[in-house]
Amino acid sequence: MSSSDVRDVLNLSEGASGTRPNKKQRLAAPRPNLKGLAREVHNLGGDNPIAIVPEVTQFKKRRFANRKPASRWEMRSFRNSARNDSTLILKHWRRIEEKQENQGSPAEELKEENGTQEGQAPAQDEMEDSSFAKFNAQVSVPQYSDDQYAQTLTSETWTKDETDYLLDLAKAFDLRWPLIWDRYEWTPPATNGEANENGDESKAIVPLPDTQARTMEDLKARYYEVAAKMMAVQKPVQYMTQPEFALHELMAHFNPEQEKMRKNFALNAFTRSREEAREEESLLLEIKRILARSERFNEERRELYSRLDYPHAETDISSFKSSAGLQTLLGTLMNASSKKRKTLPGPEGASPSNPGPPQAPVQDSGRRESTGPSTGNREPPATGTPTVANKKGQSQTQQPPAERPKLTEKEEAIYGVTHHDRLGSGPTFRTEKINKLFSHKSNQQQLRINNTLNELDVPSKLAMPTSATTLQYEQLLGAVNSLLEARKVSDKLDGEIKIELAKKAEREKANAPPDSENSKAQEDASKENVEKGAVTTAPEAEAASKPDSPDSDDVEEDDAAKNTKATGAQKEEEEDEEEIGVESKAARPGSSGAAQKRSASVLSTASDKSSKRQKK
Amino acid sequence: MAPPNQLGKRVKLTQVRRPFIVGSTALPFSETNPRPAGVPDNHTHSWQVFVKGVEDTDITYWLRRVQFKLHESIPNYLTYRALVVDGEPGKPFVVNETGWGEFDIAIKLYYVNDSGEKPQTLYHYLRLHPYGRTEEEKQAMIMENGEIRSWSYEEQLFNEPFDVFYRILTSGAVPRGWKGAPPASGGKGKGGKGKNKAPPPLPAPDGGDVWERTAMIPNSNRPGQPFSRETEAAEVKKLRDAQTTTEEWAQKILQELKGKEDLLAKLKAENAAAAAAPKPS
Repeated sequence: MSSSDVRDVLNLSEGASGTRPNKKQRLAAPRPNLKGLAREVHNLGGDNPIAIVPEVTQFKKRRFANRKPASRWEMRSFRNSARNDSTLILKHWRRIEEKQENQGSPAEELKEENGTQEGQAPAQDEMEDSSFAKFNAQVSVPQYSDDQYAQTLTSETWTKDETDYLLDLAKAFDLRWPLIWDRYEWTPPATNGEANENGDESKAIVPLPDTQARTMEDLKARYYEVAAKMMAVQKPVQYMTQPEFALHELMAHFNPEQEKMRKNFALNAFTRSREEAREEESLLLEIKRILARSERFNEERRELYSRLDYPHAETDISSFKSSAGLQTLLGTLMNASSKKRKTLPGPEGASPSNPGPPQAPVQDSGRRESTGPSTGNREPPATGTPTVANKKGQSQTQQPPAERPKLTEKEEAIYGVTHHDRLGSGPTFRTEKINKLFSHKSNQQQLRINNTLNELDVPSKLAMPTSATTLQYEQLLGAVNSLLEARKVSDKLDGEIKIELAKKAEREKANAPPDSENSKAQEDASKENVEKGAVTTAPEAEAASKPDSPDSDDVEEDDAAKNTKATGAQKEEEEDEEEIGVESKAARPGSSGAAQKRSASVLSTASDKSSKRQKK
Repeated sequence: MAPPNQLGKRVKLTQVRRPFIVGSTALPFSETNPRPAGVPDNHTHSWQVFVKGVEDTDITYWLRRVQFKLHESIPNYLTYRALVVDGEPGKPFVVNETGWGEFDIAIKLYYVNDSGEKPQTLYHYLRLHPYGRTEEEKQAMIMENGEIRSWSYEEQLFNEPFDVFYRILTSGAVPRGWKGAPPASGGKGKGGKGKNKAPPPLPAPDGGDVWERTAMIPNSNRPGQPFSRETEAAEVKKLRDAQTTTEEWAQKILQELKGKEDLLAKLKAENAAAAAAPKPS
């Protein structure tokens, strides 16, 4: 896009654009023409010519040459001692030692050296051995004599010859078992002993399947067997060093079957398909999950068993395992339970000083219950007679079963055993009973009881809570409670008396004008009001900790007076407006309203209380 | 809790009591009671809290372990001492500590396994300073050596114990320090040998002796042993006196009540009459 296009778009003046082509031509003219570039490529650059850096072809700089003369090499013959054919002589290039270089001019030296080399060649050849000869490590293969073989190494599947052959191969291939196995072609000597062509043929045919059967594991097993046995022969096991013994053990316990399986497994794993691999993975996960679950399951099951486990009988129960045994057991149990119901307490006074296990109360021994399920497997028939004996003239309940030792009164006193009509089971403390007496009361009641106890100079906690003191304390608390009740009633009466007194005073005051009209109904209503007011004051008086304190009384009186005044004022207003109209106007809305509200709020509690009072 | 079938049935309507003493003894640091090394400077007292039998008798035959739960601010506050029940003369369950503050100690009693009972908790308020309602009482608190004791007598009541435990509780009484046959064996000697070793016959229950493995308490006080029948009798007397006083007060109030009721009735009648009178007019 040229600038003229832009101008065109922007609607700029034509004049400016008209000059454009000229300029362009002028500019384009002096543009240098680079050779070797297409015109199109030039135009790509637009107004600015493309900067093209011409490549300067330069060769690598010559390395600064080493001024030293080139080192000399010679062809030298050598021998490889690792090889079996000692006559073989090979040659290789070797750099000539510097020492020899320094001896003379290179040219002379070369000749001279050749000469000397010729002369020294035999010696040098003797000396020089291939540098690789040292890597020809020979495997030490167990050796054995004929006698030793006959003694220890005889095998049903291996002849001595084949064993020899195996060991030779092992030595030749440095125990590289795949190689040994590959090259293993044992052809046993002719069985007929003839070394003619027929024999050869028989060799070729007969043993082939046999050798084919030899797997690598067979070879290994045989070799290790031989090696381990020879080791043991040369050095008895007990004298071996630790690594020697480890090696011996390893070889002696070579298991070809396992080896075979391992290889098969590896082969299978190698050839399995992708799907198989995936399936295997998921199966492994699955089995892991199953194992974990079964572990938890087992745990739960064990717990369940331990929970369900019945206590093991200490005695032999085999006699009860037959149905007849069960019958007798049932009879025994029936007897025992009926006996229990009819047990008599042992005679008092002569009981043993040290009551022992259940079987042995001295006094009871005559009529002792001889058996219960817990005392073991006595002979069932033995129970019969005592039961009959017990039935005679014994009818007593509520005593411990016969097996339990009976205690005399003295013992019971000493051991602190008491009997009660009602008991909750479980351990408790003596003080709990007293604490309960307290905790069953409300906080206010507790406070009042404590105050009374303080008045009596009795600590709220017993110094020695025994049964006697606890009993006494309970009685004391009962007395305190009744005292408090009495005080409460008396306080209430006090309040009422005050109300009545106030009412009386009010009435007398109101009655001062002789012609007052008091309708009965109004009087009753006002009285009701007054009573309600009094009731509302009663709880307040109770709330005060000391009912007979002057403060609370004052309050009560004030309240009562106010109420009566208010109701009185109301009453009087109706009768005689002129007289106290001004006063009542001020008093009525406030006080009477308040009184009614209060009476409503306590109506529920007040109603029963007032009814009670009316009964009185 | 062990299954009941191993322990037999509960002995119905029967209660067995065992007295014991729970308490604390505090002693302020002084020349005679030097502050041990490593005790913080703000600690003022050394104290111990204990559970033991009356007259230091063995209680380990029914009490297996006691856990004293001290105040949370005391490091390692959950301490317990498990006693092996092997018939040794009972040592008290004791925790020794130092500190500066008083607090409630929750004492959890674990009963022997044969009891089949759950542990129970009781509380003891640690006293470091003399306490009482009056100054005289406070002064009386302080022992000769400056110790502050807050000891309480308590009775453990086993209501309807299991058969096995009942047997344990009601057997094996021996005088203190008796070296005869171990009481735990409990076997009633049938042969002559057993009789030879049998403990002496039981004393009178109110003889004042205290035997091992019984619920007996001494007849009279001794120094360091404030709990006895004497104390009990004094307490009963005090309570009875207080009761009498209370009843007298109540009587008095009741009498006054009668007068008041009369007065009230009179007033009411008067008021009612006054109210009724003007109506006809």
